[in-house]
Amino acid sequence: MAYSRSHILTPFTEKLDQIHSSIMTIGELARANFKNAICGLFERNDDYCNNAIANDEEIDLLEMQIDREGLYIMSRFQPVASDLRYVISSMKIGANIERIGDQVVSIARRSRKINEHPEVPELHELDKVIKLAMKMFDDALRAYTEENETLALHIKTQDKQLDRLNKELNERLILRMQDDSSKIPIYFNLIFISRCLERIGDHAANIAEDVVFAVSAEDIRHLGS
Amino acid sequence: MNPTSINSTELLPSSSKVTPSGVTNETFIKVINFDFFYGKKQTLFNINFAIPSKHVTSFIGPSGSGKSTLLRNFNRMNELLPGVRHEGDITIEGRSIFDASIEIIALRRRIGMVFQKSNPFPRSIYENVVFPLRIMGCHKRAHLNETVERSLRSVALWDEVKDRLGENALGLSGGQMQRLCIARAIAGQPDILLMDEPCSALDPIATAKIEELIVELKKEFTIIIVTHSMQQASRVSDLTAFFNFGKLIEFDHTNRIFTAPIEKQTEDYITGRFG
Repeated sequence: MAYSRSHILTPFTEKLDQIHSSIMTIGELARANFKNAICGLFERNDDYCNNAIANDEEIDLLEMQIDREGLYIMSRFQPVASDLRYVISSMKIGANIERIGDQVVSIARRSRKINEHPEVPELHELDKVIKLAMKMFDDALRAYTEENETLALHIKTQDKQLDRLNKELNERLILRMQDDSSKIPIYFNLIFISRCLERIGDHAANIAEDVVFAVSAEDIRHLGS
Repeated sequence: MNPTSINSTELLPSSSKVTPSGVTNETFIKVINFDFFYGKKQTLFNINFAIPSKHVTSFIGPSGSGKSTLLRNFNRMNELLPGVRHEGDITIEGRSIFDASIEIIALRRRIGMVFQKSNPFPRSIYENVVFPLRIMGCHKRAHLNETVERSLRSVALWDEVKDRLGENALGLSGGQMQRLCIARAIAGQPDILLMDEPCSALDPIATAKIEELIVELKKEFTIIIVTHSMQQASRVSDLTAFFNFGKLIEFDHTNRIFTAPIEKQTEDYITGRFG
């Protein structure tokens, strides 16, 4: 059954709308930061990286605000059934987006270090990983907004693909390190960035799991491969 | 087919897709194709479900949904009203409560009832508790004393009143009076305890004590409680039945009803989306 935040009790509806809106805000902010960090890397512009790092504080504050909003709803309105699942999922999704924000900060910091060195062609080896991680995050936010269980389940399958891309990239970069030891610091940071992107995919998959729980009450975590 | 061996899941409403699979107790009360009429007005429609023994089952639903009407059928209290009739059957341990051979007094002895408003008799605390035994013809002082202490201990009232058992019961607080009524209801050692909104007139502390009591009493009794409080139903009951417009919409484990109900009507009611 489709979830509606509309209730007889208007303040309850308003608070549910508020937590939804806060998730959208933190999601958009994390997404913008993600793009900033990637621009900083590819355009070799530290300003983008610095922005991504500075804006993370706002994401942290929003995560706490979402928790406060969720606690308020639980203590004041005692939600049950779809409302309870929605509030719990929203709080967990807020926490996962905050973790994505942390990974973005790591990417921005690593990008600044890479920018200290001459550009290397291996940078573009990251393209596929970035594209897929970004798509997974976008899809996770869309699945939450649209309560789209099918899309959420698709994100879970993409996570395996991202893990594979990360692993292949690591293997290639380790081989390059052996060929050209002077570029080890750059390759090392690229490996770390790829690892961060893989973690972003994990968090997107977590968000997808929470969406499925909110929509259908199914717990699809830890079901194995 | 021996009705006592029927698993409660067999009589779930067809609309329910999830069976209370954890219920292992045998069916104790069974409601079969049950319709009820006040004169020409039908208030219950084809109710079918089975209640296991030593569980707490909550009946929830909006006013006029038929939950209290059904509750009052279990001890045939509705028959006190003029112009009522029923179709279908209700069985306890496989035997119809409407069977011609059933003595209505004997039936009500097996089924204690507690009402929304506590209704102690204007007599002593002691006499209130022993009242069911006296009308059963028991006058042995030792047995009566033992019953008073056991019943009052069961409702956690003994320590509060043991030194004033001769005082008028109407001098107790609202919560104490309701617990006294429960003590009176269980004094005759019934199998079933019916509770019709037992906490609606009580403050939160007295309510918490009654709820704690309900959880404790289910070790000995099969309890059915009608409540308008969703929180109360979710706190105390093992199984919950949702009624609307005289129909049983959904019957399942309480946890399931309050986290992921199957029926949209149930979802809309418990989340406050219709009324």
